[in-house]
Amino acid sequence: MLFNSYTFFVFFAAVLLLYNLPVTWQAKKIILLVSSFVFYAAWNPPFILLLWLSTVVDFEVGRRLYHQQDPVKKKLLLIISLAGNLGMLFFFKYGGFLLENFVALSSALGFDYNPAKPDIILPAGISFYTFTTLSYTIDMYKRESPPVKSLLDFSLFVTFFPHLVAGPIVRPPQLVPQFETPRKATSKQFTQGLFLLTLGLFMKVFLADNMLASISDSVFNARMPLQTLDSWMGVLAFSGQIFFDFAGYSTCAIGIAATLGFVLPENFRYPYAAVGFSDFWRRWHITLSAWLRDYLYIPLGGNRKGNVRTYINLMVTMLLGGLWHGASWTFVAWGALHGLFLCVERGIKGFTDSRKKVAASELVMKSSLGPTLTANNGFGQLALALFTFFLVNVTWVFFRAPDFRSAGGMLASMFGLIPKGAPLLSTLDILKVGIITVVLLVCHWLMRNTSVLAVAEKTRWWVLGAVWAVMLMLLLLSQEESNAFIYFQF
Amino acid sequence: MKPILPLAKAGLLALAVAAIFLIGLELYWRGQGYELSYNNNEAQWADKRAEVYQPAEKTTVFIGSSRIKFDLDIPTWERTTGEQAVQLALEGTSPRQILNDLADDKNFRGKLVVDVTEGLFFAPDGTRPDNRANESIAYYRKISPTQRFGFQVNRLMESAFVFLDSKQFSVKALLDDLPLPPRPGVFMYPAFPKKFVTVAFNGQTTMTDAFVADTSMRNKMIGIWMRFGGSASSQGVGGDTLRGIMAGTKTAVAKIQARGGKVVFVRTPSSGGVLAAETTQYPRALYWDRLLSETGCQGIHFQDYPAMAHFECPEWSHLAVADGKAFTGELAGILKQKNWFSQTPTQR
Repeated sequence: MLFNSYTFFVFFAAVLLLYNLPVTWQAKKIILLVSSFVFYAAWNPPFILLLWLSTVVDFEVGRRLYHQQDPVKKKLLLIISLAGNLGMLFFFKYGGFLLENFVALSSALGFDYNPAKPDIILPAGISFYTFTTLSYTIDMYKRESPPVKSLLDFSLFVTFFPHLVAGPIVRPPQLVPQFETPRKATSKQFTQGLFLLTLGLFMKVFLADNMLASISDSVFNARMPLQTLDSWMGVLAFSGQIFFDFAGYSTCAIGIAATLGFVLPENFRYPYAAVGFSDFWRRWHITLSAWLRDYLYIPLGGNRKGNVRTYINLMVTMLLGGLWHGASWTFVAWGALHGLFLCVERGIKGFTDSRKKVAASELVMKSSLGPTLTANNGFGQLALALFTFFLVNVTWVFFRAPDFRSAGGMLASMFGLIPKGAPLLSTLDILKVGIITVVLLVCHWLMRNTSVLAVAEKTRWWVLGAVWAVMLMLLLLSQEESNAFIYFQF
Repeated sequence: MKPILPLAKAGLLALAVAAIFLIGLELYWRGQGYELSYNNNEAQWADKRAEVYQPAEKTTVFIGSSRIKFDLDIPTWERTTGEQAVQLALEGTSPRQILNDLADDKNFRGKLVVDVTEGLFFAPDGTRPDNRANESIAYYRKISPTQRFGFQVNRLMESAFVFLDSKQFSVKALLDDLPLPPRPGVFMYPAFPKKFVTVAFNGQTTMTDAFVADTSMRNKMIGIWMRFGGSASSQGVGGDTLRGIMAGTKTAVAKIQARGGKVVFVRTPSSGGVLAAETTQYPRALYWDRLLSETGCQGIHFQDYPAMAHFECPEWSHLAVADGKAFTGELAGILKQKNWFSQTPTQR
């Protein structure tokens, strides 16, 4: 079920009504669980079994992992859990990709192997809930938190509908304790939730889908070389679209959870104001980058095994992070570029710090994949942020382009290497992208050290009401022009 | 009494302002003479697509381009024939993709009327006229329960509010109307006059009285049709491309007929410069006659029937409401003569 659908609003109203009935906390949790399954089944009912299976297996394995004393049996349990979760992910998400590459390799080696193309439907949000359940079993293995006592609480932790299909990716300590004691949204929390839901929908429906999606699609689907202006506008349109789409989803999810009295972790913190790529990953899809840091980068050795290993670990983490987004080499290239930029940034930082006789190891941030770039003054910071934004846009080309050929053509066009590119976008399209990009960057820069709710708190109620009204009006006038969230396919 | 939180006050204000704005907007559009019109999208098409499995003796399915959506008056058809009409035509598309979809659907054994607008019907595979048909078919095949439910909610809302006609009144559509200077070398899809049509829930497309009465709007549409191939003098596709189209159509028709279904091709009226251009680009002997000959199907060409040949399209391409009703009555009569409504095969 999409948040940006009439169906969801009927569903959400029913959930709010049932959840606020004067029944026991246990009954309320059952209401939430059933609602979450209904929410998921609305796409493809059979996949609910897959979700249920994953939940039950991980609950049981997690409990045993925590209590198991025998290291061999413990490892075996962990392998069962990893194999089960990653096996499903690989089968549904990467099966076709692996087969395609195997066929290409066979062909390169001179074997004529042409298997039937598998027609596998990707269960919505499988990458998200797999990471959620994986974090639990790995935490149980490492005994980082106590096992969840009830299957009901664990099921809710995995399937709680606001975060189920596109995050934020939650960890057990972030959500499980919230199911242990009765919760009801305060008036303030409820209103904040509604405000965030409106804002998230506005970002997704009006900005991403109505204003930017068609422009980005037409540029990336163009069959002829384009003028530099058109290519840049297409990439900037996608840059805005992917942010508004995904951050919009997270904002909706956080808002919906708030109306029920729950708190979900922040997932975006004005990423286009990032100064450097380390900063970017502290601001973009925060829960994924934290997951990759804690369950991949640090177990690989992080920055504890010398410079070379640190760079290798960074690259491995980002390559796999790229692959997590989609079964295609273009996503791997996107991850590789981010890894490369992180490595370069780390190298620059290490060099400048060594000149200041500061040991690089002391600067490693616990909360990110690398150190932060700094500039001495506000203007320098702004220049670095704009340069980061420029490089992020270059990486988006690989994220959005259907193949390397298209990505290469787009980059060639963006950097003026195609002398006679065709114009494609209308004056209106260019105005839309230009205005939205400038406003987006200004907002991100001004808001980089605060939050939307903090700003809302400080704003006069009638000004906020006017802004809220404009968002509502534009949402209603954008009806029937909205698509599925981009991140559902991941 | 607990004081109202500032955020709650803001929310109440937002609701009030938004509600007043939308009521005002709805009244404004109605005051301007706009009528209720349903969004003619993939969800609507998928809803109709699911109706093709009605018993063949009670249903005729129509596929094609925009002309049959105007020219077939569904109430007249249903009154005259006692049968349901399932309108699956999509404007601006070739019906061949939908024909193939129905041909490959083993559960479809019904009666099928295929509207032929040559410039679209004979468009090569993979070109623009296929896009919308393919998207609609894909949507139908993957429709989820939530999309079905959403469609029904949407239907209820669209039956009440004029401003929900997204092609005319969405922010995107309104921005497209801004008088901005065109960018040199950029193809701009022409904007249709806002009062051109209304669309009913069953897909019936109707030219508005305001449009028919307004010469400038009619001339604007004529200009658009002439720009879309109406002014080209070269002949349409030929050679292997045409052979492929004919062969593909023949195969699809044969599949439907093998299951007991019936197929008839209909050339709906056009007039003025559009008809002249179509006659030049798609000479009847090379396209229409060959289509009937290769598929072995019956065909109804409007120029062959005096009762149909006299229709004048207000914008040279589609019939106005009254003519649509008359055309539908004639079409039903001709089909009856061809045993369309009986269990026996149709007569050539």
